[in-house]
Amino acid sequence: MIRSQPVLSARAVHKSFGPVQALDGVDLDVHAHEVVALVGDNAAGKSTLAKVVAGVLTPDAGTVTVDGNPVPPGSPASARALGVATVFQDLALAENLDVVQNLFLGQEISGKGGLGLDEAAMENRAREILESLTSRIPSVRTPLSALSAGQRQTVAIARTQLGSPKVVVLDEPTASLSVAQTAEVLTHIQSLRDLGHGVILISHSLSDVLAVADRVEVLRHGRNNGSFAAGEASHEAVVAAITGATRLPRRATPSSRP
Amino acid sequence: MQRSPTPGSATSMREANRARIVDAVKRYGGLTQVELAAATGVSTATVSTIVRELLAAGVVETHSTSRSGRRATRVTMARQLGLVAGVQVGPRALRVALSDLALDVVADQFLPLPPDHRVDTTLDRAALLVMDLLDQVGADVEELLALGLALPAPVEAATAELTVRGAMRGWEDAELAPVLSRRISRPVHGDKDANLGAIAEHDLGAARGLRDVVYVRIGHTTSAGLLIGGHVHRGRAGTAGEIGHVQVDPAGPVCRCGNRGCLDTVVSAPALLGMLRASHGDLTVHDLLSHAADGDPGCRRILADAGRAVGQAVGDLVTALGPESVVVGGELAAAGGVLLDPLREAVTARAVPTVRGAVPVVPGELGDRADILGALALARRKTQIELA
Repeated sequence: MIRSQPVLSARAVHKSFGPVQALDGVDLDVHAHEVVALVGDNAAGKSTLAKVVAGVLTPDAGTVTVDGNPVPPGSPASARALGVATVFQDLALAENLDVVQNLFLGQEISGKGGLGLDEAAMENRAREILESLTSRIPSVRTPLSALSAGQRQTVAIARTQLGSPKVVVLDEPTASLSVAQTAEVLTHIQSLRDLGHGVILISHSLSDVLAVADRVEVLRHGRNNGSFAAGEASHEAVVAAITGATRLPRRATPSSRP
Repeated sequence: MQRSPTPGSATSMREANRARIVDAVKRYGGLTQVELAAATGVSTATVSTIVRELLAAGVVETHSTSRSGRRATRVTMARQLGLVAGVQVGPRALRVALSDLALDVVADQFLPLPPDHRVDTTLDRAALLVMDLLDQVGADVEELLALGLALPAPVEAATAELTVRGAMRGWEDAELAPVLSRRISRPVHGDKDANLGAIAEHDLGAARGLRDVVYVRIGHTTSAGLLIGGHVHRGRAGTAGEIGHVQVDPAGPVCRCGNRGCLDTVVSAPALLGMLRASHGDLTVHDLLSHAADGDPGCRRILADAGRAVGQAVGDLVTALGPESVVVGGELAAAGGVLLDPLREAVTARAVPTVRGAVPVVPGELGDRADILGALALARRKTQIELA
């Protein structure tokens, strides 16, 4: 029962945008069945790291591996094939389509003999996924435009489940949600963990992070600046690491776990 | 559902559809007729007919509302007498529910919380969640008769002020019931979660019809709710039944309460998970339970030993009180026999043997919903007193 090797491992990742150094040798490990929160100030490099992990951005140096296989740089499709599913802040959902159509957009199940679409199969699978996340969306045929912000986040999270991913990356899933909607999204994150996924949770809200994360990794100016076991991390200690009141020596390895 | 009509007949179809519609309304709190049709797979015309029948029978209510700019009819369960709310504050979660006076829950919500969450933030979020649930079922705050507040520590009956230090860091010295009451401008009544779990199991669960009951709540910490003559015995400063602070080892570690070797230092979520850290890494209570269910020997051993330790304390309590039954609830009770059997053995071995045999030790019937149902039951009890 000793914790196994990380499913996702990023090592010494560097990324610059012109003169701006967004990531300066960042390390990150995610295990199966673990929620790792990535916190930091604006421009700390959280979203950049998420995009590198998702294969959207090509790092200048460093590697990202999933189960030991390197994620080919700049290829979201191969990252997805390796088992990294990402929900970006804009969610990338289509307003005019219903829940099923959004889930299966671009990966529809075709009907018998390749004719048309197997609507029944897609509907059933959609229901199954929403159920496994303990979602409360009344109907999978509701158009997106009729759903609340929290329910849309649910649909975006549900969409990650189609490829049975190993790691799910969520970028600010509770930003601009009401308390009730936040409650729902945090419950989904717990469900993802219970389903055995590794989860990378990027968030500004420390209380949301400490509520569901197993480990909190702090980024500051593109560098690792602290790693906390969430059960023991005090709010104050994490804030101190975010604001730079406490510093990690350069090139310390974060998260050296058994 | 008592008389079952011929399967496949028009009557049985209508009854099945009716049941599906009522279930869907209960599950989602409130739905428009169009959403009801989609959620149940029943045609909109049939939904409309059935809703009209249910409305006439007083089962549901309808309200006009608008969805994406279109007018729609929102269907909710009927509640002529008003609603009660329950709020359960736990060390790592907040649970909120609304029910009618029959304690039928019409809407609920669960919010995970960080360790050592702050009293002001959490009560504020609780108030917002209550308002949100009221909105979900289409009710005004005026329809809310009272709110029951469940807390994970002993409290003063009148103010819900915590009476044992160290149980909830930063929550001491606040009159929690008046504070929450001001935020929602409704009456709020608070009690310890184990006392409320005892009320719920007595009103709705495993202790129905019994007068003297010990309800043992094994969760983040261990506590008991005592029913004597069908009433909660709260004791001085609400501390009756605090078996988590019975001394099990005079030379043991210092407890958060300030004493030494309390049961809580041996059986509490942090203590149990701490004992597994070296072998299993960081687990949650949920992980502990699911590993034990999958047969992990280390997790099963931890739960069995926890059951035995709690059973020894409960055995003495049984000798002192002579209850008709011991009902076991709380998050860890979900482990089932692996925890409950050693607990029962320890109670039997420790309590005074009688010619009537050993006291029954049974699992609660309400599971992790016991405390929140108890909070709703408390709100209902207080309301009935005010109406009389």
